[in-house]
Formats: sequence, C-alpha cells, structure tokens
Amino acid sequence: METMSIDIHTMRNIGISAHIDSGKTTLSERILFYCRKIHAIHEVRGKDGAGAYMDSMDLERERGITIQSAATNVTWKGHPINLIDTPGHVDFTIEVERSLRVLDGAILVLCAVAGVQSQSITVDRQLKRYHVPRLAFINKCDRTGANPFKVKAQLQEKLGLNPVFVALPIGLEDKLEGVVDLVQMRAVYFDGPSGEDLRYAEIPAHLQADAERYREELVEAAAMFSDDLAEAYLEGEYTNEMLVAAIRKGCIAEKLVPVFVGSAYKNKGVQLLLDGVTSYLPDPTEVHNFALNLDDEEKEVELVPDPAAKPVALGFKLEDGQYGQITYVRIYQGELKKGDELLNTRSRKRFKVGRLVRMHSDSMEDISEGYCGDIVALFGVECASGDTFCHPDLNYAMTSMFIPEPVISLAIEPKDKKSSDQMGKALNRFTKEDPTFQTYVDQESNQTIIKGMGELHLEVYIERMRREYKCEVEVGRPQVAYREAITQRADFNYTHKKQTGGSGQYGRVAGYMEPLETENYEFVDMVKGGAIPVEYIPSCDKGFRAALQKGSLIGFPIVNVRCVVNDGQSHPVDSSDIAFQLAAIGAFREAYDKAKPAILEPIMKVSVEGPNEFQGNIFASLNQRRGVITSSTEDGTFCRVEAEVPLAEMFGYSTVIRSLTQGKAEFTMEFEKYGKVPTSISDQLKKEYQEKRKKDAQR
Amino acid sequence: MLKEEFISKSPVRALENSIKGGLGQGNFGVIASRKGIGKTSVLVQIALDKLMQGQKVIHVSFNAHTSYIISWYENIFDEIARRRNLEDLGDLRDQLVRNRVIMNFTQEGVSVDQITRSLKAMIVEGGFDAKTVIVDGFDFSRGTIERFQKVRAFLSEMGLEAWYSCTLSGEEPLCDKNNVPILLRELLPLISVLIVMEPARDYIHFKVVKDHDVLNPRDLNLKLDTKSLLIAEN
Repeated sequence: METMSIDIHTMRNIGISAHIDSGKTTLSERILFYCRKIHAIHEVRGKDGAGAYMDSMDLERERGITIQSAATNVTWKGHPINLIDTPGHVDFTIEVERSLRVLDGAILVLCAVAGVQSQSITVDRQLKRYHVPRLAFINKCDRTGANPFKVKAQLQEKLGLNPVFVALPIGLEDKLEGVVDLVQMRAVYFDGPSGEDLRYAEIPAHLQADAERYREELVEAAAMFSDDLAEAYLEGEYTNEMLVAAIRKGCIAEKLVPVFVGSAYKNKGVQLLLDGVTSYLPDPTEVHNFALNLDDEEKEVELVPDPAAKPVALGFKLEDGQYGQITYVRIYQGELKKGDELLNTRSRKRFKVGRLVRMHSDSMEDISEGYCGDIVALFGVECASGDTFCHPDLNYAMTSMFIPEPVISLAIEPKDKKSSDQMGKALNRFTKEDPTFQTYVDQESNQTIIKGMGELHLEVYIERMRREYKCEVEVGRPQVAYREAITQRADFNYTHKKQTGGSGQYGRVAGYMEPLETENYEFVDMVKGGAIPVEYIPSCDKGFRAALQKGSLIGFPIVNVRCVVNDGQSHPVDSSDIAFQLAAIGAFREAYDKAKPAILEPIMKVSVEGPNEFQGNIFASLNQRRGVITSSTEDGTFCRVEAEVPLAEMFGYSTVIRSLTQGKAEFTMEFEKYGKVPTSISDQLKKEYQEKRKKDAQR
Repeated sequence: MLKEEFISKSPVRALENSIKGGLGQGNFGVIASRKGIGKTSVLVQIALDKLMQGQKVIHVSFNAHTSYIISWYENIFDEIARRRNLEDLGDLRDQLVRNRVIMNFTQEGVSVDQITRSLKAMIVEGGFDAKTVIVDGFDFSRGTIERFQKVRAFLSEMGLEAWYSCTLSGEEPLCDKNNVPILLRELLPLISVLIVMEPARDYIHFKVVKDHDVLNPRDLNLKLDTKSLLIAEN
C-alpha cells in the first residue's frame, strides 16, 4: 500500500498519437522499458511471439496495431506519468475521443520516411479539437530515406503547427548514431544492449554549425513566449532554464511544438523525449477541464484540480479482468478514497469505492486513494464507458449524453452451442464499453444483429469475439441502416371497429402527419371537446410510435414526422387503450402512402488523400460511387479530396482506392447525415423488400 | 417565393443584361477593387445564381480554408433566402452543394498548368460538367500575358467562362484615365469584361470599364449594400 502523497505538479497524463505503422507501439514499449517497469524488450511483431507490452489484446498483437486504449502508470525521474494509448482509426471515434478527453498532453509520432500522413492529419485534428498540447517525435530516423527536416517542414505546411527542433540526429539511415540535444548543446549517445546507458559528448565538429543554427532558431521561437528570455537573449545572457520555461509556455499554449528525433526501434532518442514530456507538457493543474451541470441545463462548470474539492471522475474505459469489471477513471477534482460514496450521474446509482488500483498494462498495484489529476482503476463498479462519478452532492456529467446512431448492421449467427453461450457474454461486454456498438434480435428472422459506425468497427468486434470469448460466428452481408421519411402533409381519419361476441373494440382517430425537420418524431394533441377521451390520448401516441418502427417501403424505421390528432370518436363500452392504439396505427398507415414517403440513406463524409498524379483516379472513384465532391485541396504534390458519399457505395472502397493509386492514397470516413436515395435505387430497394417479404410469407 | 421567380428577379440578371447577356464561353471577366470592398461576395452571388439555375460551378481559391469559403456561400444564401422568402430551402441547399465544388490551391506560385490539369480532371474524370469557374484571390501581379493566353485557351477548350476577383493595392491613382486598373492594363486585351467596384457614400458602386469589345467606362445600375453585402438594383 502506498501512503506517500504525490505532488500533482509532477504528474503527467499523456497519449501517443500516430499514423498506423509509424512505430507507436514500439515507442510506448521503449518508454515503459526506460521507466524500468519492464525488463525485456519485445518487438511488435517479434520472433519470440511475446509481443509488446501495451497491446494486451491478442488481436492487436497479431495486427501490429493498437485498437483499445490502455492506461499505464510509469515513473520518469520522479514524475509519475500515465500513458494512455489512443486508437487512431476514425471507425473508433467514440473510443478515440474518450481517450483524448483524459489526456493533458500528447506525443505525435511521425515516420521520418513517410512524414505527415493522412492519419497524422486526422489525429492532429482531434488533438486540436480537444486542445491537447503536443510534442512531435520523428521516429524511424534509421530507415532508408529518412528525412526529419522534410517532416518538420510538413508539420508546418500540412498541419499548420509551429514546429521547432529541440534535437537533431547525428547521422541518418544506417548511420544514425545518436542525437544532439539543442537545449544542453551536447551530443547524446545511447550505449548498452538496449540503449539504456546515456553517454554525453561534445557535438561532432561537422554538426557544430548546424547545431548552432538550429539552437538559434529554437531560442528565437521560444523568445516569443517569454519577455524574460527575449530580453536576456538580446543582451546575450540567457540561461537554459529560461529557454526551457519559454518552450514550455509556448507548448502548453499550443503555439509551439518541440520536435524530437530518433529511432525507438534502435533505442535512440527516447530518453530525451521523456525529458521533454516532463519539461514541456502540462501537469493536470495547467489544463482547464469542464463538466456539464445536470441540475442547471447542462451549463458548463470549470473543475478545480484541488484535492480538497468534492470528487468528480470520468470512467473512460472498461475492461474485463480476472476479478470482474475494471473501470479506468480520470480524477478531475478531489480525491477518490476507499469507502467513499460516489454517484453515477447517468444511472443515478450510488456506490461505494471498493478496491482501487493503479494499472500497468498487465499488472496492478493496490492503492488506498486516487489523487486529483491521476488515472486509476476501480473494481466491480456497475457502469458503462463514459459515465461520470461524482460526490453525491454534485450532479455533473463530463460528456454530453449525445451518442451518434449506428449506420451499418450485420447479422451474426453462432456456429455451435458453445459459441452461442459465449456470444451473449461478449455482446453484453462490448455494448457496455462502446455505446456506438449496439445489438438486438430481429423478430422476424430471429437473427442477432450487430450495429456500428463502419465496416472495420464491426469487424474488430467479430475478431474480439473469436479471440477473447472463443466464439465463432457466421457473418451476414453488411446492411446499411436506411430510414423512411414522408415528404408532404397528409390527412388521416380512421375508424378501428371490431365486434366479436363479447366486448368489442372501437376508436376513431383523425388528424394529419407532416414532415419535421430536426427531430425524429413529435406527437401533438389538438383534440377539442373530448372527441377522444383524455385517457386514450397517450394510446394514440403509443400507436403512432409502434407504426414508426417499420415503414411500408422497405421495412426500416420512419423518422422526421409530426403526428397531429385533432378529432376522433369513442364508444362508452367498446373503446379501450388497445382499440385507440390500433386506430392510430391504422390512421398512420392510411396517411403514410399519401404523404409521399421516401427512403433515406446514411451519407458519409469521405476524405481521400494522395499524390496529385492520382487526382483524376480519385475523382473518378468518388464519382462512380454517387459521391458529391465538395472540395479538393492541393498542396504541391499532394492533394486531399473531400466528398459526401452514400455508405452503401463505400463497401470495399479501401481495396479499390489502393489498387487505383498503387497504394499511395488513403481515406477516412465518418457519418455526416441522412440523405434521400435516388429514384432508381429506391425502386430497386423496394423491389428487393417485396421479394423478401414474399419469400418470408412462403416459409 | 419560388426558385424560378427568384432567378428571373435576381440582380445578376441586370448585371448580365448590361454586359451583352453575360460573359460567354471561352471568356473571363475580372471584378477589381481594393481589399475588403466585397469582391468575394459578388463572386459568390454570381455563383449562387448559376447554382440555382441548376448549373455546375467550380470555385477556385488560394490559401483559404474550404470551410471559410463554404460559410461565405451559406451566409449569402441564408440572407437571400430570408429576404426573398424562398421556398423548399432544404432541397435548394442540397442542389447548391451538389452543383458546387471548391478547389483549393495552397502552394505559393502554383502554375497555370497545374490548375488547368486539376480542373480538367474534375470535369472529365470527376464527371463534373461545370460551365462556370469562379477564381477568388488570384494574385494578378503574377498574371502574365502568357498565363492568361493559356487560361483563355483552356476555357475555350472546355466550354467554360470564368470570373476572377482582383485586389488592387498601393497608392492612388490605382487606375488610369480610362478607369483601367494599372495592374490590369497589360492584360486588358485578354479580359472580356472588367468591372471596378468603388465605395460611394453608403454603398459600393459598380463601373463597367470594359464590356467585350467596348472600352467605354459607364456606371452600372447596381450597387452593393455594405451591410448585407448583397447586390441590389438602384
């Protein structure tokens, strides 16, 4: 048990953001090693099969990419650092954004050969959105074609950052020997079998002029953020401490990005980067965090990083461990102590803090309290990912309750009995972890359907079922989540009447339906003089809601409709709740066809990036997919094309774009809006639906 | 108001009527003024007029974020829609977005060949059969005769017409005695229509300096409202 208190100003919560394959996992693992937490270095796709430390999931190990975020605590020169691994792909938006929420600073890893790639742009945009200050690490300087100077220029040109070297490589490609530290103005070599022994030396003569030039550039850039340094610099009498303080100020204000260089794989430059994390990235008190006060119309309140304040924490990740559910939390305000009572503001449930631990990727350490600003894990708390835990006096939420609707679905079927048992467990876990992943059983086909934000999103969960739950499933064709909507107003006046021996059923519902712009459904009661008795008004609402579940065009839910009831009739004996529900359903169906319903489809915002020479191919590929190109931006030899494309046309696009551009272009996509399906395709969909219904009826 | 009525009453009709019905394929026009007078707004209104008619428009810009250009279109469209009480706004907006593409060239000193190559790729491979190109923010101090000869050849080949904005800067006088901006004097034979915008007391005033083959400065019966930035007839 730990009793010593930690100074919050020494603490760092950082993430590593990168394009796939720029060496993020290798770097994470080297950081853990140098912080003396692990004792052997495994390669990401190593021969020993042990894999790197951060990737606790087999699937990630196999793909060599990191999908889930894991929080790991390490200590570097007296600074506790929580390392949060952030997933990079946009298909995992919720997860990425949740990780970014809990970071105070980030390392943007770039490949010295490939430079700023499409995903570097995506992750940088995300960092900007969450105002995360960052350091850049130009990795893989040992590779053939490495050019950190070009990459630094790209940071400025493509990401609009203000990058400045704080280190220079000594040699490049296979001649990479070490780095020049531009703050201390000395050469650093990394000796020992794993580069753990630092040797300082004079800057090599052939690099002296370059080092001085870049040092000057560094001081001039930093002086913009410190009058002290600016003055002292002009007088020629400044200190390295002044320089470090000025760089830190610029970095935290997101106006300066210190650039480190090296090769994680070759054990070069990582320790300098770690020094940079503690010197330049903010501690938890230097970052403004806000919560929404649920008692005051979700008004923003700033949280105070004060251990004495009432605690507020965000559960940003769930994991299934040997001992039950583990919830990773970031403490924004106050402290969490064993035995404290907390309120989950989403579920409104109170609970007592039981076991409290600090996590390393595969091991854990019991603690009695979690400090303000820290990241810790709770055991056995019933919650979902993204929940906020507060002192019971507070009613705050760290994130808005808005969750995007899934746009794609798949039918899955367990291959055997054992898989069938496991599937339920797996789905239960995943839906708790990720609110954009949903599941239900289709009443008609009796199939289990999973829904999510993209093809890859669902593929990853299917893989995880196989690996973590030994659950094998047959997978159906991906299905786009269509919607139906009316395009004009239509009246209804429907009488539901049934006489069968005993008590009959009677209800008449009259009024109209009309398109609604922003909301999915609205019910308006304009009945006068009790034409429909008050107690049956909710029955009408219920009936309409039931009718909305399935449109008559292709059987998908109906959205954007307002139903207004203004007249009706009841019977003293035969009217009932169910009679009015059925009358409302009948009324809805009667008016629906008259209201010219249309099919809507999810439209994705697609961004394709690649060399200019393939611009024509990119345009053509989007054009063929019913895409609307909204813009293209050219920057020298590189272009980025933005388009709106129906999701239904995007299946398999990654393969197509790769073959069209010799693998040199990449794309990202996210849900944008629902749009009307063109007539020819709408007719086809309706035909398919009719045929399916006929088949189902014959069965 | 319906779309058709809006198009027939658009002040862009008056503008076109006063320049022999419009620019014409293969030609380009220039709207020149000092910075901050409203050139972009005028270009966007010309583009919106084409878009409402269902024609496709390519908007070329330099060194600007696309979101910035998109918001120009949205703001002006919203202002027009509000004033004219336009119907079917959702469908109209869809039509505008479908028919407009923004092409941004952020590299300094991008060559005319690269721009025309990209435009051609958009029109041919992208299947975007535009009739009008709007070019906002081109630096005419780089506008050589050779460059604009190439531009004209390209416009003719593709059956396009183009509207440019030209920012005038420096000390007075900016124009010669014929009202031709000194910056554009050399290019004048290649320019089909040249309009200069000047601030008057409480609005912006338009002057046609060149109208196809006629080089005879005259005032247009149009003004630009300095608050709404909309073109209106006098």
